[in-house]
Amino acid sequence: MAQTAEPIRIGVLFSETGVTSVIERTERMGTLLAAEEINEQGGINGQPIELVSRDPASDPTRFAQLAERLILEDGVRIILGCYMSSTRKAIIPVVEKWHALLMYPTLYEGFEYSRNVIYTGAAPNQNSVQLAEFMMRRFGSRVFLLGSDYIYPYESNRIMNDLIAEHGGEKVDEHYLPLDAGPDDYAAIVKRIKQSAPDFVFSTVVGDGTALLHRAFAKAGLDPARMPIASLTTCEAEVQQMGADIAEGHITSAVYFQSVPNEVNSACVARCKQRFGPDVVTNMCWEAAYFQTHLLANALRRAESDNVRELLRVLPGSEFAAPQGLVRIDEDNHHTYLRPRIGRVNAKGQFDILEEATSWVRPDPYLVEHSLKDWSATVRLQAQ
Amino acid sequence: MSAAPMSRRQGSGTPRMLRELRSLRVLLIHPDDQDGQELNAQLQRIGCQLRATWPPQEQLPEEVDLIFFAMRPEVMSMDIPWLKREDLPPIIAVVNYENPTIIEAVVRLNATAVVASPVKSFGLLTSVVLARHLADERQEQQKYIGKLEQRLNGLRKIAKAKQILMNTRGLSEEDAYKVIRDQAMAKRVTTEEIADAVINANEILGMDAAPRKASGGK
Repeated sequence: MAQTAEPIRIGVLFSETGVTSVIERTERMGTLLAAEEINEQGGINGQPIELVSRDPASDPTRFAQLAERLILEDGVRIILGCYMSSTRKAIIPVVEKWHALLMYPTLYEGFEYSRNVIYTGAAPNQNSVQLAEFMMRRFGSRVFLLGSDYIYPYESNRIMNDLIAEHGGEKVDEHYLPLDAGPDDYAAIVKRIKQSAPDFVFSTVVGDGTALLHRAFAKAGLDPARMPIASLTTCEAEVQQMGADIAEGHITSAVYFQSVPNEVNSACVARCKQRFGPDVVTNMCWEAAYFQTHLLANALRRAESDNVRELLRVLPGSEFAAPQGLVRIDEDNHHTYLRPRIGRVNAKGQFDILEEATSWVRPDPYLVEHSLKDWSATVRLQAQ
Repeated sequence: MSAAPMSRRQGSGTPRMLRELRSLRVLLIHPDDQDGQELNAQLQRIGCQLRATWPPQEQLPEEVDLIFFAMRPEVMSMDIPWLKREDLPPIIAVVNYENPTIIEAVVRLNATAVVASPVKSFGLLTSVVLARHLADERQEQQKYIGKLEQRLNGLRKIAKAKQILMNTRGLSEEDAYKVIRDQAMAKRVTTEEIADAVINANEILGMDAAPRKASGGK
């Protein structure tokens, strides 16, 4: 009967072109993998799900237009999508207006709650404070802050500034490059990094700039073992894009790495490679896109409808055994309990997990004042 | 390459007003309806210390840093004595009508921010911080104005005392001031206090009138 049942249509908005398409394609891939698994398992109480995927081309205006079209013309009530905050902000008024649901699988700067959004990526209390604590403990506290010129880097650097000050460290410099900055811009900024010789670089560069930064860094002869780039966003996808040789030794704080050693993850990665090819790598955004689709499917089964009001009754508080470990959507703030980890890129372009939280961390998207002490006292990182 | 945008503070850290949100004691005077619940939930997410009450009580509870006040038609005829207090915490008005009667009431409430119904989570945090910032600034300005008034008053007194000394003693303005200043230093009081004493003495002894009479009654 499953074949003849009317499918449940779900909108998918991840950029296949534009400046953040490399990472957004992996989010689309995670969504697709989960959707196929869901349908293989009999869909939603016998009803298959059908993804209606569009390419918003990393452009906020396109995101908003396509979201409205998905809702009004394709009859979609749920949208899975967005990477950059600007694109999420563009969609929120649309989903609120039509009382649709957005599930957002990307780490971001926090300070947001919408009744119509579920956030499955990390909030700053699940990655920033861990990165600052680790880096200053291991490498020192003279920090060069470098980011792409938009809201996520500003807010991440505000937090980092406070944490450096708390530690008694020193901000060597704080710089922002346009999202479309070229190799020369990165060469110039790396020259400044070399001159000021910080203990590490905190990078919130996103998109294609990540590869340019690492390339310029390697070209300038800077050694990641002595002065690494620490990031919240550089993941397996960017490492593959730039090549492991120039990524090796740099450090990322994330709630998931492809190398997470558990059976759920290895089985999931294997299925992903089988479906999309042996060279495919997974990453934190892929993982969130994957598990949020399963969380949605479970909610659809329980609600027995894609009515958003019903879904919002069952989604908060729901749990899923994700590749990173058990995750849970918080009842009050719609963000997700996640497990912070610190990884270092190895020669194969994968992350060696150096430290890992002993338990999941409750999302606290409205936390203004982070503290190194809060973190190290309440949730200890354990060396692997 | 661009420098850090103007809006970014360089190295000064997150401002106090934002850091204090988790210890902020908020009194939510609002009916327990959808707006009230939305306000309650969002203030909890922000992490404020929250107490909710409706209708407004006759006494303002102790230890309140910020008040949300539902400006409902039914409270407009109520007598709420504490609203006239000088040391009132900042108030954010929550409005569900925008007619002149309600707007006038909001103005009289001395609110430093307003939240409109239907309440949305977005924008609330900014209202909280702005309401406190403006109230703080208003208080600082009041203090400063008080100080300025005091100083102005002092200067007026000194001018008057100088005039008295010039008239009664035939001193120049400079010498009159020197007398006041020397007396103040000798008695270790302010020049305003000496000026006060001169003015008082002049009033009691009627010295103000005497010389004028003397000079005018030849």
